Amino acid sequence: MLDYAEPVTRLIDEFKRLPGIGHKSAQRLAFHILKTPQEETNRLVDAIREVKEKIVFCSVCNNLTDTDPCRYCASPSRDRSIICVVEEPYNLVAIEKTREYHGLYHVLHGALSPIRGIGPEELQIKNLIERLRPDESGEGEVREMILATNPNTEGEATANYLARLIKPLGVRVTRIAMGLPVGGDLEYADEVTMHKALTNRHDI
Amino acid sequence: MHLRTIEAVNFRNLAGSVEFSPGLNVIYGANAQGKSGWLEAVYLLATTKSFRTSHPREAIRHGEKEAILRGSVARGSLVKEIQLLIAETTKQTFLNAKREPMIRYLGNLDAIAFTAEDMQVVRGAPDARRKFLDRAIFGIQPSFLGTLSEYNRALKQKNALLREASETDDPLRFLDLIAPWNDQLITLGAEIHSTRTGYVDKLRERLSPGLFQHETIEIRYKSSLDGKGDLSDYAGLLRERMGLRLKNEIAIGYSLVGPHRDDLEILFDGYEIARFGSSGQQRSALLILDLAQLSVYHDVFEEHPIFLIDDLDAELDRTRIEILLNYLDGRAQTIVSTSKRSIADRYRDRAATFQVQSGQFLSANQRTNM
Repeated sequence: MLDYAEPVTRLIDEFKRLPGIGHKSAQRLAFHILKTPQEETNRLVDAIREVKEKIVFCSVCNNLTDTDPCRYCASPSRDRSIICVVEEPYNLVAIEKTREYHGLYHVLHGALSPIRGIGPEELQIKNLIERLRPDESGEGEVREMILATNPNTEGEATANYLARLIKPLGVRVTRIAMGLPVGGDLEYADEVTMHKALTNRHDI
Repeated sequence: MHLRTIEAVNFRNLAGSVEFSPGLNVIYGANAQGKSGWLEAVYLLATTKSFRTSHPREAIRHGEKEAILRGSVARGSLVKEIQLLIAETTKQTFLNAKREPMIRYLGNLDAIAFTAEDMQVVRGAPDARRKFLDRAIFGIQPSFLGTLSEYNRALKQKNALLREASETDDPLRFLDLIAPWNDQLITLGAEIHSTRTGYVDKLRERLSPGLFQHETIEIRYKSSLDGKGDLSDYAGLLRERMGLRLKNEIAIGYSLVGPHRDDLEILFDGYEIARFGSSGQQRSALLILDLAQLSVYHDVFEEHPIFLIDDLDAELDRTRIEILLNYLDGRAQTIVSTSKRSIADRYRDRAATFQVQSGQFLSANQRTNM
């Protein structure tokens, strides 16, 4: 016999599919929903439906967007000669927050991980290479590609793979620097970061 | 540094707490009463690793959700409270009652243990010797843990590709996919090689010649690339060997080159200890290595980690015990376990002695004659 009426059990099971939600949290969320007024629940349902209906992947850079191409790809003020490659849309947001970068983006939607069966085919690499071909007018030619994949094993391998692929095409390939967070105290850096920062030190 | 007190909650069959002396401590009791459990608890509290199991959750008492070990550590007049919480899927570390990231928790208390399990270092396969080296290095250079785990992760990824390549008809298309992992393995592998050889050099300087009469050992880091070319350019040589062996790697389906195939050569009076040494010689060799590790630690931090010896009399004869305890006296806080009350009695005037029964330390007036 089920612990709860079938609709409640079904809701709990659906919540449990979400990342980071275990049985207890799922149960808590389900009972929260049961207690909330109808219009509040409707807003949540509508928000979920709308996001699935309206949000698509940009056909140029694969970013999440409600217009295609996305606002970065469509903007006339962005520098089209430089592309920053990131793993996920939220990485793009992190870079955009600096207001320092005015080039274009490319979202891979993941990083190479043979253990999890993720190879180049599973990532948005093919349309990245296509973007590097100059159009007939020769305008919009990409001069530099910044590899901003995560500073972990998989991100490094992905950057490395892309560099090998793209360098022969005559595009400058750069990798974001790794080291200490700015504005913090040295004492707060963990050993691994400090070690990287010391290894990658430079002359001033 | 020394461990002043330790308390165990829901950890194996242990209960209660104990106050140790900064010098020699002898824990005695009948078998299966929890002597080794207490040593394991001390080692876990210090290193967050167990010397008895690779899954510390096995030490949570049956029916309980989590085990807690608490200790107070003294460095001169400075006292810190450290705590390790072991749950089914996680371990949490605390310093002075607040959560502390593992990497900063480690180093508040350090321990070197001499146990039956460690005999694999002088008796078993190369993998036990690599672990011995790596563990010793973590103690003095915590960032090495990051380097090693990145290397192992990249190796796993490469092996997944090699396994797949070995099962297809078109292995050539894997070459481009393997290259980025090899690049990382070369950078990280070179770092591992130089760190390990550097540590072995330090260890060699600290091997006490003649500690156990004329029993002397020599050690050498034995790279799997020995004799294959110029080791002073390790990264270059590793790249060359990876290139040469790639076909074989694809054929066999796993990685064949790199520091994960290295060894620590231990020679006892000129002979390889794992193959030609007697049990006694192997024990002496392991002790000499452990004591050298203690000295190197002291060279770096100007203090000694605590030294643990599980089942003292089972592992060592009376003469070796005497030499060992004399050596440690005045150097490191030492905690040993023994099933023989006679040993506790022999050292009673220079050691704190504790009797353990059913997981608990008996007070002085509860102690029985075994």
